[in-house]
Amino acid sequence: MNMVKNSSLIQMKGVTKEYIPRKWFFSKDQSRVVALNEVDLSIKKGEIFGLVGQSGSGKTTLGRLLVRLEEPTSGSISLKGSLINTLKGPSLKDFRSKVQMIFQDPYQSLNPHLSIAQTIGEPLVVQGIGNTRQRRSKVLHTLEIVGLSPGQDFYDRYPHQLSGGQRQRVAIARAIVLEPEFIVADEPTSMLDATIAIQLFTLLLQIRETFNMTILFITHNLAAANYLCDRIGVIHEGCIVEVNTAKKIIGDPVHPYTKKLIRVQPCFDFNRG
Amino acid sequence: MPIWIRGLPIDVRGRTKGVFMLKNHYVQRFLQSWKIFIENPLGKTGVIILFVFMVMALASFVVPHINPMYDPMIGIDPNISISTGPSLTHWLGTDNVGRDLFAQLLEGAKVAFIVGLSSAFFSIVLGMVIGMISGYAGGTLDTFLMRTADIIMVLPSLVILLILSSLFGQFNIWIIVFIIAIMRWPAVSRVIRSQTLSLKHRPFIEASKVAGASHLRIIFRHIMPNVLPLAFLYMTFRVTSAILVEAALSFLGFGDPSQVSWGMMLQWVWKSGNMFHAPYWLLPPGISISLLTLAFYLLGRAMDEVLDPRLRKEGRA
Ligand SMILES: Nc1ncnc2c1ncn2[C@@H]1O[C@H](COP(=O)(O)OP(=O)(O)OP(=O)(O)O)[C@@H](O)[C@H]1O
Ligand SMILES: [Mg+2]
Repeated sequence: MNMVKNSSLIQMKGVTKEYIPRKWFFSKDQSRVVALNEVDLSIKKGEIFGLVGQSGSGKTTLGRLLVRLEEPTSGSISLKGSLINTLKGPSLKDFRSKVQMIFQDPYQSLNPHLSIAQTIGEPLVVQGIGNTRQRRSKVLHTLEIVGLSPGQDFYDRYPHQLSGGQRQRVAIARAIVLEPEFIVADEPTSMLDATIAIQLFTLLLQIRETFNMTILFITHNLAAANYLCDRIGVIHEGCIVEVNTAKKIIGDPVHPYTKKLIRVQPCFDFNRG
Repeated sequence: MPIWIRGLPIDVRGRTKGVFMLKNHYVQRFLQSWKIFIENPLGKTGVIILFVFMVMALASFVVPHINPMYDPMIGIDPNISISTGPSLTHWLGTDNVGRDLFAQLLEGAKVAFIVGLSSAFFSIVLGMVIGMISGYAGGTLDTFLMRTADIIMVLPSLVILLILSSLFGQFNIWIIVFIIAIMRWPAVSRVIRSQTLSLKHRPFIEASKVAGASHLRIIFRHIMPNVLPLAFLYMTFRVTSAILVEAALSFLGFGDPSQVSWGMMLQWVWKSGNMFHAPYWLLPPGISISLLTLAFYLLGRAMDEVLDPRLRKEGRA
């Protein structure tokens, strides 16, 4: 891991994302929302990078750009040196097998009509990997990895038969089943209680170790980012204001906004119930 | 090994096995809905009426085998040459050429089911697919499809059918079914489209997109199961309108003349001049049309309440 630690996996250069509110006949585009403003960021291979900022600062937008759920208004994003802005067809599909996302709300991110097996197996089916039997064993194996064990017990269940924490594990399983190189985790524990959150953090760390994955961990919680991340970036109103190792950000913040963020952060606001 | 596995609740670690669980899911959901459905007074009434007509429709297959003169179309009682009232051999009487009216009524039930269900089914499938594509694709395609839907929706379907059949002569029953389906998809597609709009930005759709799923896969694998209950709800209402359109068409003399149906019976009683002195001929098909369409309407209303818990509470209170 150390060998490759310094090469960057994701590179964002001057990335801006504007949302133009739906145009009507009378309103000319006076009010456009700038969600990200000239963002430069690089994420190193094998690290867990924390993106911290308050609500509405553009964290989710940045994550969605990286998995190409959204296109940047301007600027370039590259994965391992090759641009992802312009990917199409087979090369886009190939990119999709390398980059995955874990969503915030486990109650919204699983299709209620698909079984756990179908949900986790979908990326394999879509990417045309393995035959039915191989996919089955891969899904069972992945269930074990995310701590839904024994896998057979969960294989044929439906989301409504699982707790929130278990659902999020399923979502994590879906994200890692292709063994991607990069995962965007958008506030994966903000809907869950503190004990579950800690378990999921441990799971993410374990996944990073096993697969040498790079993770972008999005959160509004500095304590969580400190616990989990190697480096932290602080985002404020669409601008990255400070990037440093977790230790430095917490111990020796430079930017006034970071200082403010640390001041207002209750030590462990995990357990506010 | 992570410790939290041991902390899972008991039911989560239950030993239920694969296939059983899968069946369980659907059976359970179905039974749950069915229970709410059948406890609902509207649903119960609808189901009972429907059951009676279903028995009639099935009986129509048997009756001609008892005696060939009970064939609804070609079976003629050799002793009778004018319309006669109810008797022991002809429970509802005969028409003016000696055909058994009860046999015709049974046949009419069968035809009503075929026409109603099949045209409702086609219009639902068409409306659902168009609605999903329109909502999912958005943009110009969406605009185009919805404008088309608007145009078709405001066309009076009965008038169109009348014009078409006066242009092309009398249609056979399947063409009528098909035209009704074509005329009746827009309402469904509007509803399905708006449902699709609310689904398409849901995270589970986006997760599938991130995994590389194609648009077709997202539409049919992820959106369709979520809109299917709504489509079926609309199907029951479509059945009602299809039966009415077919009956009206037949009564006006544009039906399929080789096919007995309730509308056709009404057409014959009118045409043979027995409208006002053969109530045994006039009333049964008229009442049947009303009751069967009522039954499907009640089913639809009851299903509405099953699908929408808010309505259910209001209905109970
Ligand atoms: N689809 C959209 N259309 C218009 N504006 C949007 C859209 N998505 C996001 N925005 C705007 O972009 C800004 C950043 O939103 P974003 O969701 O990235 O914030 P966030 O940091 O993830 O917030 P939270 O912590 O609440 O999730 C917000 O002002 C938001 O209103
Ligand atoms: Mg967000």
